[in-house]
Amino acid sequence: MASLRELQRSFAAALRDPGAHCAVEPAANLEVYRNTARVNFRLALAQTFPVLLKRVGAEYFQQLAHHYRARFPSRSGDLHWVGRDFAAFLDAHLAGGEYVWLADLARIEWARNEVSVATEVPAADAAVLATFAPEQLERLVFSLQPALRLVSSSYPAFSVWLANQADNASPVDQSIGSEVGMIRQHANVVEVMILPPDLFSYLSATAEGATLGVAMSAANLEGPRLSEILRFVFTSGLVSSVALADANTHRP
Amino acid sequence: MTRLDPRGVPLGPIPARAGIGLRSVHHDALLTERPAVGFIEAHTENYFHEGGAAVRALTRARTNYPLSLHGVGMGLGSADGLDREHLARVRQAIRRFEPALVSEHACWGHAGGEHFNDLLPLPYTDEAVELLARQVREAQDFLGVRLLIENVSAYVAFTHSRLTEWEFLAAVARESGCGLLLDVNNVYVSAQNLKVDAHAFLAGLPLNTVGEIHLAGHARQGEVLIDDHGSEVCAAVWELFAHALARFGPLPTLIEWDTDIPPLATLVAEAARADRFLGEVRGITA
Repeated sequence: MASLRELQRSFAAALRDPGAHCAVEPAANLEVYRNTARVNFRLALAQTFPVLLKRVGAEYFQQLAHHYRARFPSRSGDLHWVGRDFAAFLDAHLAGGEYVWLADLARIEWARNEVSVATEVPAADAAVLATFAPEQLERLVFSLQPALRLVSSSYPAFSVWLANQADNASPVDQSIGSEVGMIRQHANVVEVMILPPDLFSYLSATAEGATLGVAMSAANLEGPRLSEILRFVFTSGLVSSVALADANTHRP
Repeated sequence: MTRLDPRGVPLGPIPARAGIGLRSVHHDALLTERPAVGFIEAHTENYFHEGGAAVRALTRARTNYPLSLHGVGMGLGSADGLDREHLARVRQAIRRFEPALVSEHACWGHAGGEHFNDLLPLPYTDEAVELLARQVREAQDFLGVRLLIENVSAYVAFTHSRLTEWEFLAAVARESGCGLLLDVNNVYVSAQNLKVDAHAFLAGLPLNTVGEIHLAGHARQGEVLIDDHGSEVCAAVWELFAHALARFGPLPTLIEWDTDIPPLATLVAEAARADRFLGEVRGITA
C-alpha cells in the first residue's frame, strides 16, 4: 500500500509529466490540475510583470512563463514572490540575443512589486544635519526608505517602462543607451523615475551603508552639486534616519 | 446588531448572514457605498505584507465589517510537512486584522519542495486522516485559533481511498477539533464529477461542526464541472444550500466570485438572495 507521501509525489510527478502514472481515476482529469497550476503561476507572473507582458505579447509571455516555471518552480504557497528569479532567468534565457534588455525591464517591475507592499516610514528632516558638528558630517550614515529600490541598466529600460504606461507606446530608441533609476513608494503611490548618474551613484553607495563622505567620493560630488543632491534627497523624503558611523562600522 | 470595540471595529462572531469576498476592484465602492452585507472574506495570502493597497483596503474595510480570513496556500495535508514561514505570516495577519473566522482547505499543496499553488486532492485513507488532523492541530495551536477546514472540489479520486469524503472530513474534525467550512458548490461539483451522492455528503457531516458555508458558480468543460468561481450560483446549488440549511441551521454564508468579477451590486444581490434563504430557516428554527 503506497504511503501518503508516495501518493503525493506520484501525483506531483504526473502534474509535471502527463506520461507519469498516478493512482487516480479518471486519470484524464489530472489535466485540470495541470492547467490550474500552470495558469495560476502565469497569472501571478503577469500581474508582477505587466509591462513586459504588454511588450512581448501574451503568446511569447506564456512561453517565457513555461520555461521559467520549469527552471524556477514555485517554492511557496504565496504566489506574490513567484517572480523573484525572473530577471535572472531572462538574463540566461535571452543571453546573446537582441531582447536580453527585457531582463532589466523585469528588474524594474520586480522592484515595483517589492516597494508596493513595503511601508514608507516618516522621513528625516534635513534640519537634523545641523545637530552634528561640521567635522562629523562626512561620517554620517543615512538610512534610506525601506520602500525604495535602485536599478541600473545598460539599456533604456526605464524609458521603455515609462513609455508603456500609455496605451499606444511609441518605440524607444535603443541608442539612448544606459539608464539608471529609482523605484519607490511615496504617499501610497509607486513612482518610477530615471536619475542622473551621479545621484544614482550617491544613492547606491548610501544604500550599501556608505558614510556621506564615502558616498560623495563614489559619486564625485562636491560644492553646489553636492548641496543640490542633498537638498533633493531630504525634500523628497528618501532618508529615514541619520546617524554617526561607529568605529566598528565597515564602510566601502 | 454588530458589537463594536472602542475603535469602532466590529467584534465577536460573524452573524448567520451572507457575506462577500473583498476584491481589489471593489475596494473603493465598498468604502463609499457600505453595502449591508453580514461580513467580508479576504484571502489570507494577500495580506502577508507590511504595506500596500490591499493591506490599506482591508484595514479600512475592517472598521465596517466583521472579517473572515480564508487561506489557500497552507497545504495542511502535505505529507512533506507544514511551511513554518507561511504559518508565521498567517499568524501575523490574524493578529493584525482580528478575524472572527479563519479557514483553510482539506488538501495538500507541495511535494519535493515544489508548491503547486492549487488545492490538490487527498486520498481518503486512515493515514491521510491522521496526518491532516495532526497538522490541523499543530496549525491551530500555533495560530491560536480554531480553524474551519473546507471541502475542495474534486476532479479525480484516489483508488486507495477507503472512506467517503464526508467520513474523511468528519474524522478529521473529530480528531483535530477543527470546524468545517461547507462549500456547497464544491459538494455539487465533486458529486457530479465523481458520481457521488450530494445529499449523502450533507447527511454524513456531523451536526454542530459546520461553521460557515461557501456558495459559488462553476463552469462546464465537456463532461467535467470546473469550480471556477466565475458566475452566479446555479439553481441546483441554491437547492443544495437549502438542504444544508435545513440540516445545519443558519450559518455565515459567503458568496465566492473570484474570476470575471461582476460589479459590487451583483455580489450584494447574490448575498441578499442567500440572506432570504437564511431568513426562512431562521423563521422555522426561531
